[in-house]
Amino acid sequence: MSETIRFNFPAPVIDDSVNRLRREVRAFLHEEIRRGSFRPVTDCWCSGIDPDFSRKLGQRGWLGVTWPKQYGGQELSALHRYVITEELLVAGAPVHAHWIADRQSGPLILATGTEEMKRTLLPRIAAGECFVALGLSEPESGSDLASVRTRAHKVQGGWQITGTKLWSSGAQICQYMTVLARTSERDDKNRHEGLTQFLVPLDSPGVSVRGIRDMSGVEHFNESHFEKVFVPENAVLGSVGGGWKQITSELALERSGPERLLSTFVVLEKAFLQAAGSMAGHQAAVMGAMVARIRALRAMSLGVAALLEQGQYPEVEASLVKDLGTRFEQDIVERLREFWPIQLKQSYGDEFHYLLADSLLRQPSFTLRGGTNEVLKGIIARGMGLR
Amino acid sequence: MGFEMEQTDQLIMDTAHRLFADHCSAGVVNSAEMGTEPTKLMQAILEAGLPLAWVPEEAGGVGGSLALGFNLIRQAAGFALAAPLAETLVANRVLADSKLAVDESWAVLVSDGGALPMLTDGKVTGLVENAPMPPGVARLVAPVSDQGAVRIAVFAPDSAEIEHRESLAGEPRARVHWKEALPLQLSSALDDMSEDGLRQFCALVRACQIAGAMEKMNELTVTYVKERQQFGRALGKFQAIQHMVADIAGESALANAAVEQAVRELSAHPRPFGDSADSLLSIATAKVVASEAAGTVSRLAHQCHGAMGFSYEYPLQQYSRRIWSWREEYGSEFYWSERIGLAVAEELQSSAPGQTEGRVWDIVSR
Repeated sequence: MSETIRFNFPAPVIDDSVNRLRREVRAFLHEEIRRGSFRPVTDCWCSGIDPDFSRKLGQRGWLGVTWPKQYGGQELSALHRYVITEELLVAGAPVHAHWIADRQSGPLILATGTEEMKRTLLPRIAAGECFVALGLSEPESGSDLASVRTRAHKVQGGWQITGTKLWSSGAQICQYMTVLARTSERDDKNRHEGLTQFLVPLDSPGVSVRGIRDMSGVEHFNESHFEKVFVPENAVLGSVGGGWKQITSELALERSGPERLLSTFVVLEKAFLQAAGSMAGHQAAVMGAMVARIRALRAMSLGVAALLEQGQYPEVEASLVKDLGTRFEQDIVERLREFWPIQLKQSYGDEFHYLLADSLLRQPSFTLRGGTNEVLKGIIARGMGLR
Repeated sequence: MGFEMEQTDQLIMDTAHRLFADHCSAGVVNSAEMGTEPTKLMQAILEAGLPLAWVPEEAGGVGGSLALGFNLIRQAAGFALAAPLAETLVANRVLADSKLAVDESWAVLVSDGGALPMLTDGKVTGLVENAPMPPGVARLVAPVSDQGAVRIAVFAPDSAEIEHRESLAGEPRARVHWKEALPLQLSSALDDMSEDGLRQFCALVRACQIAGAMEKMNELTVTYVKERQQFGRALGKFQAIQHMVADIAGESALANAAVEQAVRELSAHPRPFGDSADSLLSIATAKVVASEAAGTVSRLAHQCHGAMGFSYEYPLQQYSRRIWSWREEYGSEFYWSERIGLAVAEELQSSAPGQTEGRVWDIVSR
């Protein structure tokens, strides 16, 4: 017997307050660009680091907007956060400093942290003054996170952590890292057991952070080494040994956000401005097709946001958004090449060339970060009963 | 399920589903193509009043929402429905909107998205190359151009030179040629309809059909790869197959999201056959994404099915052949993406100098 497989993407309820917020953010960004306070960059949520800019957003109350007011939030809906992030992305604003803390670490602390953590850290994150890096991947653990080797041993009054974390972008400006470590011996039958997340201050004795240059030429990636780093008991996020479940639900919810389809929008926007005066025929079709796909992907992404608001857990739908969206972000660059060949490094040309070249040099990471597309396809296949 | 509907609409959807399941098996679809008219199916559809879903109650119809009709069309496509339900739904709505009588028989909109036939001195002249018209249909509903204004003309089949043909999927198509033909009925000029508005509406119908058919193809594929054993295990256990299935699901889901968004957009407009900048973008998006997906989904679904999917007896081919013809009708992905590209460029050109910053996003996100 066949079973019906239908993916629905309902429209989120967008009230006036959401539209008003969008207009405010948009006006702020136009003014910042006009004043030259930042230069729009491609893939800005991973490549644009500017703590001052993050602080400006914090001052306007645009970080941690969904959190309780007592912890520095605004108690707004996920949709309010969605439009803020969307506007920041399409403007190419330098948002990486706070991105992970606002999207992921803050909600993780809210869900699993101690009351003291919530009281002291969340208001600072919402103010754009405290940044958090992700400590998941390791030299020997990429997509297969259950294989992490970083070890935390129980010691008097807390834990002692030893190991190496890789690819944590922005760690050089972050005050904290959420570190996934093994807290009990690996059991091959239950390899997801015995993992624990810790919130580690990066100024702890024994922590060293080394920048890694990526192929686009910047050093945003880091290798962070932890040598017998002591953290107190209350640095544990959630339950000891229950880290795997936390991480997978954390990752599932961050899969379908607008940063999975808009990383290269800024270059498409500029391409339209370049071509508008002479747009015709084949070029109109190629560029129009990209607009169509973005609009459809956005409807999907907003649909997942609506499902989340309804309290559902759309893991498969979110994975579909990320798989299709990130491949499309790459596709934009490939299709624009037809009209604007990309030959020289970023700096040898005008602003548009900079964005094109930088997009090309950064795009291999889009389908890797936050779980490779092959892992996502596995989740989708499982959702359809094949695994 | 699907587009937001009212509760009574759901009852109609359930009735239609039972009716299609009872009378439109894969065997019925194949026989219909071979020339055996599916009389039980056709009769049951008329008796259930489905073709009147979009006709207002005061005109003798069901008064259903746009969402209801598009949902019926999508659901019907999931059965490769061997009856022109979508065509009659559209024709009846056009008749009702132009204040012409609607009856309970089959009617089709004789229009293919090309230039409209011309009305001169009360007579119609023009050629419609690819009208979705079965041989037995009693009423031809034709949008015609009266010096640029749209009027609706109703004809009997003997009014025109008609050459009957078949689409790739064996669905009836006809080349209809009127030479100074006198309509049986003629509406006044309609402010609420435009040539492009009609083209857009029909394009959205085809996009919904493609989306509905692709859901079925996804379903057939998942079922097949779970059951079919090769090299000692189910095909679905191979990662290469899993990834193809995930891609089918993704393209099908994307098309669903796009048609749902377009139906919502069109529902918010008072004139479904008029055209507006917003409905153009939404509908063009739906037809582009659905038509692009049609190529990918059919390729992958056939690859997963092996030779079985290539056989006439197995139902997959009824869906792949349909989406191959539907993706071309009322504008392919190439046509509608060019329209989008030109529309965006035009808006940029008409923006005041210095006001172009962020304008593309403004257009994409509205």
